Amino acid sequence: MNPQAKLICTISLLLGTTITLSSNHWALAWTGLEINTLAILPLIAKSHHPRSIEAATKYFLVQAAASALILFSSMANAWHTGQWDITQLTCPTSCLILTTAIAMKLGMVPFHFWFPEVLQGCPLTTGLLLSTAMKLPPITLLFMTSQSLNHTPLVTMAVLSAALGGWMGLNQTQIRKILAFSSISHLGWMSIIIVYSPKLAMLNFYLYVMITAAVFLTMNSIKTLNLSTLMTSWAKTPTLSAMLMLTLLSLAGLPPLTGFLPKWLIIQELTKQDMVPAAVTMALLSLLSLFFYLRLAYCATVTLPPHTTNHMKQWHINKPTSPLVAILVTMSIILLPISPTILTTI
Amino acid sequence: MALAVMLLNSASFHAGCCRHKVLLSLRAPLLGDSKLCSSYRRPGAEPAKKLSWQNADFSFKKGIDHLKTQLSLLKKETQDYLKGPSGHQISQHLLEQTKVLWQFRSQEDLNKWVISSDVEIGGKSKVYIKLGRNNQAALLYGTLNTEAPRDGETKYSGYCSMRSRPAVGSFNRKKYYDWSNFNTLYLRVRGDGRPWMVNIYTDPYFSHQKDDLYSYFMFTRGGPYWEEIKIPFSKFFLSSRGRVQDNQHPIWLDKVRTLGFTIGDKIDGPFQLEIDFLGLLNDRAHREEFAYEAYDKNTPV
Repeated sequence: MNPQAKLICTISLLLGTTITLSSNHWALAWTGLEINTLAILPLIAKSHHPRSIEAATKYFLVQAAASALILFSSMANAWHTGQWDITQLTCPTSCLILTTAIAMKLGMVPFHFWFPEVLQGCPLTTGLLLSTAMKLPPITLLFMTSQSLNHTPLVTMAVLSAALGGWMGLNQTQIRKILAFSSISHLGWMSIIIVYSPKLAMLNFYLYVMITAAVFLTMNSIKTLNLSTLMTSWAKTPTLSAMLMLTLLSLAGLPPLTGFLPKWLIIQELTKQDMVPAAVTMALLSLLSLFFYLRLAYCATVTLPPHTTNHMKQWHINKPTSPLVAILVTMSIILLPISPTILTTI
Repeated sequence: MALAVMLLNSASFHAGCCRHKVLLSLRAPLLGDSKLCSSYRRPGAEPAKKLSWQNADFSFKKGIDHLKTQLSLLKKETQDYLKGPSGHQISQHLLEQTKVLWQFRSQEDLNKWVISSDVEIGGKSKVYIKLGRNNQAALLYGTLNTEAPRDGETKYSGYCSMRSRPAVGSFNRKKYYDWSNFNTLYLRVRGDGRPWMVNIYTDPYFSHQKDDLYSYFMFTRGGPYWEEIKIPFSKFFLSSRGRVQDNQHPIWLDKVRTLGFTIGDKIDGPFQLEIDFLGLLNDRAHREEFAYEAYDKNTPV
């Protein structure tokens, strides 16, 4: 891609995110969301492959519709209450429309159908941006309006996201689609707790971003896009493959890895809020996601492929692995012991 | 556009106080009466039959039967889903190096394919398909005729093709093939020396790309011996509406919908192609990623 175009897209992404994060007025928040949507489109369609263009078109249509709903919700609230402050969303209809719009933006069930297709159509680095950076503005809006939102639709969508994210990821063989369903599942965990403890939802989001970034960057380093290629990637970087296993298990939420912390705290908080059935359901549904994380770990690290493998072994990777991968992978694995320090920030 | 013209015509009739003609002209498309609303029919096209909504059979029993069929298909899909990708174990998916997609041993296998020719645009080519000797192959045969239909707009003609029926799941949902584990198409055929074109259609989501097709050529030998032709997927080029695109891209094999064969070598006369089976192969000796220029051709100096 043209370096100048890439620079403009990157700066626009940062600008849009910053505008939404720092806004108090709905119009400004909407502006930030639109800047983000438009800036990511050239990155999705970078290769101009028909499937990439299809992914960019789908992304644009969904995000534009969601942004229109956000604007409509804010206008309805302004009509009823006379003010545009994000934190003063008091009209119930506006709250419901906003919940729907944010769910579309994030890719929560039942508005999730676009997410795996878009992620499959774009390169791994753009997929990383879509799964992490592009989720920050909508999550922030959800955080700011959490005290006004009705918890019933949020909890329903959260449970459905955890369920369908796990169920539909079971038979995937394309890594980007697996990570898309993993993202949908994690969104379920974030949104179920956001009404009761918004800071815990944000902690979950930050840890999810860190671990997902580690996984995406690792996959990008070893240049693998499906399970068959993953099986022979151990030859390129054996250490990174071993750490990939631990990173995936951390994403699954297994103790004593970092990913266990948000799940533990969310279940604890749900129990305190007298939502024991919801907590049990979420814990059981996370087993579905655990299945495909284990499958990824199995293919990447635990098994050696048979002598006659499906793909030519690539014995080395062309570029050295970025130090950022090492930092993210390390933090994805070893942060659980310092959870008291993390908890003081909540 | 047609609706606007119809409304304008009806408005002009109304101005002339011919109310019955207004109603007639609006009613004509609904009744399917071609004498009242003129429509050009291409030579070779079948006469306009009943409109699609007139074909609907609003039978409750038929609806229930259809629902039962779809629910049983859904049940089977769920059971296959629990087994693994595409209804097979994950170990099979990870370890398989060859796969037979279609083989022709019975009429049921033939029914999975659709044949067509330039008759649909008014041409005179003929194409037929039947089982070969001892039910061991499919025989696609016919006659190619390059005479263009005399409708004033078609300049070229002369093609025959055979295409696999797109896979359909329960409730008519589209199903796609995942060929990403393989890198070569394997065909066991016996031709007559004429060149064929192999087409792969990936059925994109949006209509802008509905004419995109990935194609490559299959040159047959003709003669008594069977040929085993291997075409790597890296050789397939992208075309749209029959025109080879300047910006070429490799085919993405995770969402393939149909495979087809077309003959259109501009030579009048009979043709014949026997197909034993069509399969996929993972040729580990083939390391080419894409056969055509993929670098940016218009970089500023």
